[in-house]
Amino acid sequence: MAVPAYTPSEAQARDTFLALMWALSYPGRVYTLPADGHALSLIGVTLLDLETSYFTPDAVIAENLAQTGARAQPAAKAAYHFYPVLDAANLDGLHQCSTGTLLYPDAASTLVIGCQIGIGAGYILHGPGILGQQTIQLDGIPADFWLLRSAVCRYPLGWDVYFVDEQRIVGLPRSVQVERSST
Amino acid sequence: MYVAARGGEDAIQHAEQFYQAMLGKLTPEAIQLIQKQLPFLLDKVIGEGSLYSPELAALALAQTGGDVYEAVLLLRAYRSTQPRLAYAEPVTAGEVLTVRRISAAFKDIPGGQVLGPTLDYSHRLLRLDVLDGIREDDAPPAPQAENPAPPTYPVVADWQRSQGLLPALDADQTEPAAVPDVTTDVVLFPAPRAHRLQALARADTGGVLALGYASMRGYGLIHPTVNELRLGYAEVGLRHPVTGEVFSAGRVRVSQAEVISSGGDDGKSSFQLGFAATLGWNEVKLIAASTLDMEMNNREPHPAHEEEFVMYHTEPVESSGFCIHFKLPHYVTFASSMDSVRKVISTFYTNDTPPPQSNHENMQQVQP
Amino acid sequence: MKLADLAQQRQDYSYAFLDAHAKRELRRRILKAIAIPGYQVPYASRELPIARGWGTGGLQVTLSLVGPESVVKVIDQGADDSVNAANLRRFITTMSGAKTTIDTLQATILQSRHRIPEEIMLEGQTLVLQVPDPEPLRGVTADMSKAHQLHADADYGQMWLLLYEQLVRYRQYIQGASYPSLVNGRYIISPSPIPRWDTPKLHQAAHLTLLSAGREKRLYAVPPYTNVYPLEFNDVPFQVEDQKGWVCKTTGVQNKFMNELPQEDGTSQYELSDSGYANKLADTAQSGATYYDDQGDFYHAGYLKPPVIPPI
Repeated sequence: MAVPAYTPSEAQARDTFLALMWALSYPGRVYTLPADGHALSLIGVTLLDLETSYFTPDAVIAENLAQTGARAQPAAKAAYHFYPVLDAANLDGLHQCSTGTLLYPDAASTLVIGCQIGIGAGYILHGPGILGQQTIQLDGIPADFWLLRSAVCRYPLGWDVYFVDEQRIVGLPRSVQVERSST
Repeated sequence: MYVAARGGEDAIQHAEQFYQAMLGKLTPEAIQLIQKQLPFLLDKVIGEGSLYSPELAALALAQTGGDVYEAVLLLRAYRSTQPRLAYAEPVTAGEVLTVRRISAAFKDIPGGQVLGPTLDYSHRLLRLDVLDGIREDDAPPAPQAENPAPPTYPVVADWQRSQGLLPALDADQTEPAAVPDVTTDVVLFPAPRAHRLQALARADTGGVLALGYASMRGYGLIHPTVNELRLGYAEVGLRHPVTGEVFSAGRVRVSQAEVISSGGDDGKSSFQLGFAATLGWNEVKLIAASTLDMEMNNREPHPAHEEEFVMYHTEPVESSGFCIHFKLPHYVTFASSMDSVRKVISTFYTNDTPPPQSNHENMQQVQP
Repeated sequence: MKLADLAQQRQDYSYAFLDAHAKRELRRRILKAIAIPGYQVPYASRELPIARGWGTGGLQVTLSLVGPESVVKVIDQGADDSVNAANLRRFITTMSGAKTTIDTLQATILQSRHRIPEEIMLEGQTLVLQVPDPEPLRGVTADMSKAHQLHADADYGQMWLLLYEQLVRYRQYIQGASYPSLVNGRYIISPSPIPRWDTPKLHQAAHLTLLSAGREKRLYAVPPYTNVYPLEFNDVPFQVEDQKGWVCKTTGVQNKFMNELPQEDGTSQYELSDSGYANKLADTAQSGATYYDDQGDFYHAGYLKPPVIPPI
């Protein structure tokens, strides 16, 4: 029997998934998404189908995500959130987005956030996936985001976050503690 | 060093060849013969495999030499690769093209008791004359009816509803596509009733019978009466993507059972129904399954009749697969437990006071 | 233009057997499992052409990860050449075109039943463990819903009581394989039926471990560099299997996990359980670094402690 064909769409979905998986397994390290297409939409197409839901304030991404069959939902109800830019208005929505329940912490939201990686404010990460500590620099993430995260995310509840800068991606699972670096 | 372990693969291949050598030749004629001769076996496999295809069911049985669990696994594994193209319209009992419909709750019912094809009232004697060369088709044919029987029959429970003995049905407007699906959803407890009924529809006939029978023997809280048992053919109604009209894409053999018992718990009516339905005709499974459906509604059923217990332990692919997995080597886990046993023995032998014998006998681990 | 030009070519099976829908579901669940170490994520669990209970949980995870460039190692009881391992390996390669290896350090995906190899796995490797029963609290309650609630409340008192009762009756923990362990200080897991010898290898490991139970429809993860501690009281430390003095009859190696081979004269011989490691030693007399050194000392110094037998 011949090996079933490894189609371009299979390859793209798998490469994207592996970048997400390793980004979450080794938080703070930079991984690379496949080069073709808009990174946030690519993540959406890889993870979404009619079994799940999304929220995005961006019209273009919304159009791409709608084709997956997933349900568009308000921020409070969506499982997957896509923010090309995280501004003050979006932060209001984040207040409401699910951190899961103690019975089903996996029902929490996943946030995909556009920003600049490697410049800007420095952060020190501790926790699973990190040997000792890991430092990252991110620009375009409002300080209020971090305040909100530490206020509403009570492990094992919390959001799982991916920071995306063009094809580069960094993962931040709820299990990781973040401090502002003094340098 | 990209080396596969060849020895193991050869062994697998030879074992499979040995197995195949024990079976008849796989030919289209053999498959057709199975399909024609063994419809009730096919129905069992179709129901548990939850894939309606008499031809594939016959192929699965031929390929496995009639090992039902293996045949069900073949069908399930094939089913799990098939795309979902559309959702059929719901079928009501009153629309099913019915060939057998009986009720044990009444002497006669609207539409009449329809015995249909059954061995229920026959003497189960081996037809040894067939071995002597008397051909089955030498027997005189059944007399032709003067008037054909009607294709559909009213629903017994509708009469009870009209009498106020059963609560009125909620007209459930759920979209077919929105019905929870036990094959693609995560199963959590308490489960939606759709999951429960689907699990029973796919359940192992023997497993459902064992648990259902335990209920009937007195471990259960209810005494079921067969309100209606029905065998028939259901139209697979699909909605045309352009015109929106419902059309029939074909017919499938279906069966359903309803058992009734006093003591509905909504406070308004004094009877309750247990329900089960499956692809194919499988009466014993449905009577047991509909009893279990009702048993699971009770507030404190026997542990063997709790929803989770029933759904998990009657799943044919999972129960048979796990049972035969004990044929796999377990020498690492066994070594680990030997280590524990040896340590306990040596601890107590080095001590002056040996432990009471019962401690050894009862020594059990958290998880064997 | 013909209709056939527009349609996709008919295929009997999707790449890696699972269709896109099934893969996406598994992938979403795997990500959640990694984000909540040790939490059992429920999933739908598709039927595969392998009997249930024979590794279909691990297989579904492997099939959602594997690609043509993957290098796959499959072991059962530590052995690459066991028929069950050979069968799973053959299915994975037939459906994905992935390469295979018996060398732990070459594998990108290592699917295993009941063992973690002796050589220290590396960053970027994925260990997929087949799990028959994901619920470590089964001995406390057989009811999944109740066990689920106990995990939600981190209510593990009854587990400690169980261990305490063992100490009272036997003056030691008597759990064999599947030793319950606390992950990232929050969830107790069954590490799958690996021997106690292998349980410490999950602690602060460089690689990713995914554990999956096909029948029970639960998957969970131990991410890299995550704390994993076997349940133990401070004053009675957890013990791995005691195989001191057992020498492998083919390689002469000691202080690795051994299979005991009963002999007709009533004695026993021993051989390495990890067949890939044994092969490597036989071929090159060299291997990668191992979790336990030649003296039997574990690579995280101080993690394992000498036995204490509590007084009656």
